[in-house]
Amino acid sequence: MAGPSPHKPRRKVKQAGGNGPSSLPVIMEREALVRVPSFPLAAFLWPARSSVSQWELLPLILMVVGLFRWAAGLWGYSGFKKPPIFGDYEAQRHWMEITTHLPISQWYFHDLEWWGLDYPPLTAYHSWICGKIGSLIDPAWFALYDSRGSHDPTLKIFMRATVLVSEYLIYIPAAVIFVRRFSRLSGVPAWTSSVALVAILMQPATILVDHVHFQYNTVMLGFVLASMSSMLAGRNFWVSFFFVMALGFKQMALYYAFSVFAYLLGVCVFPYINIPRFIGIALATAVSFAILLLPIVAGTLSEASRGITAHPGDSHPPLPLFADLAKHLNTDAFYYPVVEQLVQMIHRVFPFARGLFEDKVANFWCAANVVIKLRKYPAELLQRGALVATLAAIIPPNLILFLRPNKHLLPFAFATTAWGFFLFSYQVHEKSVLLPLMPMTLLLAGRQGLGKDTRAWVGFANILGCWTMYPLLQRVDLRVPYTVLTLLWAYLLGLPPTSLNAYFQDGSSIWSQWATAFIHGFFYLTMAFWHVLDMFVVAPKDKPDLWVVANVGVGAVGFSLCYLWCLGSLVIESEILPTSWTGKKTKAKTQ
Amino acid sequence: MYVDSKSTDFEVHRNWLAITHSLPLWDWYYEKTSEWTLDYPPFFAYFEWIMSQVAKLADPAMIRVHNLEYDSWQTVYFQRWTVIVTELVLVYALHMFVDSAHGVSKRAAQAAAVSILLSPGLLIIDHIHFQYNGVMYGILIASLVLAKKRSSLLASGLVFAALLCMKHIYLYLAPAYFVYLLRVYCLSPKSIFRIQFFNCVKLGGGIVGIFAAAFGPFALKNQIPQIFSRLFPFSRGLCHAYWAPNVWAMYSFMDRLLIGLAPRIGLPIKADALNSVTRGLVGDTSFAVLPDITPRMCFVLTLLFQAIPLVKLFMKPTWEGFIGGVTLCGYASFLFGWHVHEKAILLVIIPFSLIALKDRRYLGAFRPLAVAGHVSLFPLIFTPAEFPIKTIYTIFWLVLFLMAFDRLAPAPTRQRLFLFDRFSTIYITISIPLIFYCSLVHGIIFGKSLEFLPLMFTSSYSAIGVVGSWLGFMVVYFTE
Repeated sequence: MAGPSPHKPRRKVKQAGGNGPSSLPVIMEREALVRVPSFPLAAFLWPARSSVSQWELLPLILMVVGLFRWAAGLWGYSGFKKPPIFGDYEAQRHWMEITTHLPISQWYFHDLEWWGLDYPPLTAYHSWICGKIGSLIDPAWFALYDSRGSHDPTLKIFMRATVLVSEYLIYIPAAVIFVRRFSRLSGVPAWTSSVALVAILMQPATILVDHVHFQYNTVMLGFVLASMSSMLAGRNFWVSFFFVMALGFKQMALYYAFSVFAYLLGVCVFPYINIPRFIGIALATAVSFAILLLPIVAGTLSEASRGITAHPGDSHPPLPLFADLAKHLNTDAFYYPVVEQLVQMIHRVFPFARGLFEDKVANFWCAANVVIKLRKYPAELLQRGALVATLAAIIPPNLILFLRPNKHLLPFAFATTAWGFFLFSYQVHEKSVLLPLMPMTLLLAGRQGLGKDTRAWVGFANILGCWTMYPLLQRVDLRVPYTVLTLLWAYLLGLPPTSLNAYFQDGSSIWSQWATAFIHGFFYLTMAFWHVLDMFVVAPKDKPDLWVVANVGVGAVGFSLCYLWCLGSLVIESEILPTSWTGKKTKAKTQ
Repeated sequence: MYVDSKSTDFEVHRNWLAITHSLPLWDWYYEKTSEWTLDYPPFFAYFEWIMSQVAKLADPAMIRVHNLEYDSWQTVYFQRWTVIVTELVLVYALHMFVDSAHGVSKRAAQAAAVSILLSPGLLIIDHIHFQYNGVMYGILIASLVLAKKRSSLLASGLVFAALLCMKHIYLYLAPAYFVYLLRVYCLSPKSIFRIQFFNCVKLGGGIVGIFAAAFGPFALKNQIPQIFSRLFPFSRGLCHAYWAPNVWAMYSFMDRLLIGLAPRIGLPIKADALNSVTRGLVGDTSFAVLPDITPRMCFVLTLLFQAIPLVKLFMKPTWEGFIGGVTLCGYASFLFGWHVHEKAILLVIIPFSLIALKDRRYLGAFRPLAVAGHVSLFPLIFTPAEFPIKTIYTIFWLVLFLMAFDRLAPAPTRQRLFLFDRFSTIYITISIPLIFYCSLVHGIIFGKSLEFLPLMFTSSYSAIGVVGSWLGFMVVYFTE
């Protein structure tokens, strides 16, 4: 076996070298999408275009993106040496601490002032696994109470490694499979889809938030991606399973919930009504939720039988939500601890009690707050207003997806819905911008995904997204990784500020090109100008947040444009309107 | 780009910046506030002086001699930037190299140039460990490329002389230069007995001028002995702190084996060597069973093995032969030199890269060298944070370029040595479990004890690769 194998490739190469020049034009013609490398990333992968198989390219791609992630992770994390409560890093570490040390029924009740657990159960299980592994290496990292605010450098490496490993177990396989399926569906050649894969995996916002600032968003995004790629494969049960897991990891996945629902419902109704499929999907969802909750329910029951209660001392405090429930239920029954547990979990996971927006977020409400002071309105009204606005923003895309459950529309619909949520919903965080960015970036793998128009818009959204997170990153001194990663991505995809080649192509109308270039140019210039201001001009004393507010305002307008572009593309791609209309629609959009 | 890692060399260079900036020229080689005294030749000191002028703007505290172990973030950023900026010299040299190739070999030259630029060796040593090799290898490559054309031979020699005045390690390559320039530039191409006197004068004068520029100011004050005592510390031991993978590493490994075996075969063991605490780990090595090695022996062996290929070069002076000769000189000095540092492996890898793509036989010899050389650099970096970077990057580089080279290298005109190909395949396969063991498994099984074991494995393994590749390349070189 070992004998002949080293010779084989050589002979092949010799042949390929022999007729290489003659076969080159043929290859060039087959590559309908890209004839010459039109942006640097394509140029880097150019040599792999014709001969290299995917299985040789993929490990290399994964190694490179892994290196960038790890190298970015050498920078500081949020809350590094920032007492009293540190930051997201401490929150995640603290959850590993409490999940490994406390009985499962106390997880959602323990010392809520110090980063109490406020993510759904899958996060808690994930923390438990990571905490167990970490304790094997050094128990002091997760010692109860004593380890708070620990800045052990080895612990940092461990935590970074957990993010990386989680991502390589969930997000990256999901992304690879999704890109492969999606590009096959859209008839995109393998090499082009590899380029798109690198672009997707090098997304600066994701790396900055997860590997630098520190969080586990990619786990949730990975489950959503897995769910989307199951949609492409037509495995509807897995769709619901993965999506429930995503929800169970981070409630933020609700941004996509409407699209998932609309698509699944659409699949059941069109082309003909399929009742068994509908029931099957409903059952799969229910089973998935059961699996998700089983450990915590079973744990609570067994601990209750052993006399361990959720809150030592006080026997039955009132329920935080649905307080009336206690009147109808027997508080001493065996199931009561479970009810209490679940209510507490919902209470922790959905913080209705907080304000309309937390920090300065580039969404509609925060931007509107600059003009009209929203805080003077009652919270009730604001909540209702947010609900109405969000519904108004998300119903159109989901209606389209429901009526036309086409697989190639998925990223458009997901992105539009997530943008709608991001712009109009209640209690949005800056980092939530990752949610709309993820499906929007997936467009790169689709039909004409690396063409100039899509590339320009996807790139614009991503760079704007990073830019709106700059104040967040700046607070923890992460300017350098921000600059490097964002500019690197812009360079790879040939976007401003490094190049203008994403604009002006032949083929589409000159008007829309100029309009896009003009709008984007305006935003890029504003961003650059803002950076100069932020660096060299101190904000006036009476308005210390002036630059941040300006960032928010510009960001909100830019994101609204992204929303409109996604919606417009969805409408055109779905061919739901008569052709004469869509013509008008494009013009209306670009003007 | 990596901010967190600071090796001792980082402090070394900061200290040199401080010395060259704040002291008068004639105190440079006498200053010893820090234990890291200036031990590079004068051009490098001038180079540090130029950088210190910029450093003054970045953070004035950085360039005070007494500010030991100083590392404000400005200092870190500044020093890292200087490495990146000075590496542009390397980029330019590689550009020259690509330009000098024509026709079919153009693509091969491009691949080789990119492989050098992205070399994990340079990444590990310059960007993580911290040194300025990028700029110096840039100058070396520029000099090698200049030697390709008859018209620029003189420039090539002079550039190399300047390089010697920057870092004296390149003295190892000097014999090849000497022979090649002598044969091609100073002697007539038709007959070796007709000397081109004018060329000799130009070259000799130029070299003397450069050395005068470097050492002249110091010679005025009679400081040359002091400089030389700094530059050539013969008091150090045979092997460096970590064993460079050369013949002596194999020699010590055998010695260790013999310690166990000696009582059974009845060989005498020197008790003092056995009891010495450092035993192979640090500096001074003494052998328990095998005879000790003296610097003189090293020197003779090095010269001998350098001389063999050079005879061939003298007889048949082609540019490729010259690069091969430079490579073989690097090999010989690396394998047999006294107190060789493992970083010196780049001295072999980088010139070799330039001709590795000539055909498959060259590539066959290059492959084990690439694997062994880079694996042997691993112990330089030991913090867990950098472990993934060095390993994954090196594996990435090896996979990418060995694959690309495989495609690009043309078939040889002569028969290959198939036995050698087997050797290299098996060899490369072994590297995977070895890296895995040394970096992970060993720590889990033995904890802190027996720390030298992974080091010894790594260096013996790499030594086999380097020696194997050397023998292979010798064969290729002489059958050419």
